[in-house]
Amino acid sequence: MPIYDQGYRRYVARSPLQAARFWPITREALRMILSKRAFLALVAVSFLPFVVRVIQIYIVTRFPEAGRLLPVDGRLFGEFLNQQIGFTILLSIFGASGLVANDLRTGAILVYLSRPLTQRDYIAGKLAVPLALNLLVTLVPGLLLYLAGLLLAPEKYLKWSLAWIAPAIVAHALAASLVVGLLALAISSLSKSARFAGLAFVGLFFGLETVRLVLQSGFNRKEAVLLSLQSDLHSLGVALFGVVDPQLDLGWIWPVLVLAAVSFGCLAVLRARVRAVEIVT
Amino acid sequence: MADETPLVEIRDLAVSYGPVQALSGVSGVFRRGPTGLLGPNGAGKTTLLKTLLGFLSPDRGRMIAFGLDPTREPLEVRRRLGYMPEQDCHVPGMTASAFVAFAGELSGLPRDEAISRAHEVLYYVGLGEARYRNVETYSTGMKQRVKLAQALVHDPDLLLLDEPTNGLDPQGREEMLALVHDIATRRGMSLILCSHLLKDVERVCADVIVLNQGQVARAGHIRELTGARRQVFDVRFKGDSTAVLTDLRDLGAEWREDEDGVRLFLPEGRGPETIFQAAKDCGVQVRYLKPGAETLEDVFLQALGH
Repeated sequence: MPIYDQGYRRYVARSPLQAARFWPITREALRMILSKRAFLALVAVSFLPFVVRVIQIYIVTRFPEAGRLLPVDGRLFGEFLNQQIGFTILLSIFGASGLVANDLRTGAILVYLSRPLTQRDYIAGKLAVPLALNLLVTLVPGLLLYLAGLLLAPEKYLKWSLAWIAPAIVAHALAASLVVGLLALAISSLSKSARFAGLAFVGLFFGLETVRLVLQSGFNRKEAVLLSLQSDLHSLGVALFGVVDPQLDLGWIWPVLVLAAVSFGCLAVLRARVRAVEIVT
Repeated sequence: MADETPLVEIRDLAVSYGPVQALSGVSGVFRRGPTGLLGPNGAGKTTLLKTLLGFLSPDRGRMIAFGLDPTREPLEVRRRLGYMPEQDCHVPGMTASAFVAFAGELSGLPRDEAISRAHEVLYYVGLGEARYRNVETYSTGMKQRVKLAQALVHDPDLLLLDEPTNGLDPQGREEMLALVHDIATRRGMSLILCSHLLKDVERVCADVIVLNQGQVARAGHIRELTGARRQVFDVRFKGDSTAVLTDLRDLGAEWREDEDGVRLFLPEGRGPETIFQAAKDCGVQVRYLKPGAETLEDVFLQALGH
């Protein structure tokens, strides 16, 4: 039987366009990423610091003298989230480097943009992937840790004077997740190879951190903090949680401005690269 | 009574890529049914489709699709279009059924309906048995079919096919054309078949628009364009035919050389005797003369000035 003799039914009922048009993009990308066992293992490993911190709180509540070595106060959450930024970078390397690069390589970008979707829908759908993954290892354990603190040591944490901790966790986790996610996505859009994009992302993050360390230790330039995104995010954490770090005493305004500029830059790159028509003049 | 309202209407359209003018003063209509968009590479066919999809904004003129302006309401226009791009396109890591269902969802179908339609459409294009295979493992022919399936899944009002037979072997090409023909005739879907292959367009389409260097060179029903307007003869001469051809040109004939001799187009009212007479006058022998019909290729080449 010729192939075209097989059944084909005209589709009559039309449903209105969904309001959250980006959602199928996010859902499918997350489904593919989370189907990889190695990635799930990495997510599991990223929860180890959370377990360690919960044990720390437990020990201090049982043996108060241990509090001198392992202090538990608002700063604990800042230090914890600073640690988790490392995991957001790792998750973004493995989970976000290919998000746009693979679509550019296989021409899938046309599949998306020839549908009733805008460029903004596509970017939002893709950005939601690293954002969700990064929040999973920052916001979720951060808030769980705060909850553990409230339950295990209410005498330390259940105070109005420490009510700023939860909003600070939300603000720091959101800022870190958004900046790291945007950067990973923007770099992914600059290449058709996920591997190359991943390497470029690592190079940018750790390369700038190395430059910062060299400038700070060799030339004692505290402005060097602004060069490294990791240090800018740490500086934000320092300001939000009151952590004392002599290397990051530049205040929070400049690092926040740098992070905002980087985020807008990434959006500009994405707007320029995510196109159905590549115009070469 | 058939609805004669054009699906797409183009008025004096001009589109450029920076300093490069891709379309200039293009006007025409795409009616319901299959229409061919013909032209050599670089003629502006894909640019026209991309303008219709709202990817490009015209510098001048207007395009109206389903009564809407694709530049102002691209989402509503795209919801009613199905686009099969020329180049490879698939979402990496997906099976054909997941990919086509995903494409349906992106077009606004509810998830359950998209999944059900994906299976149906994949069977229709002949990929029923292979629908659970990763698209990346498909052959070129299978990839072309899955591209067609993703364009069909939401049952568009107008299907845009950009070089659908590209890279296919003769059998694959034949099957793809049969499928496109079936979509247009038995399933009653309107489509624009964009190709530089005349036979593909001739096989499937009733109307054609020929583009050349960003302008409409010819447009109309294929039957009218290739009808008995001119008489065609394939001729071989013995001796120098230059003088004969010059004489015939003076009589209003056109000609072009092909592999075996000369293809002559005589104006209405002239017959083979004109050729014999001209040959006799120039002392040249006619060794072969076969009447032919004007094909779309002739119209196409004439439109391109060959």
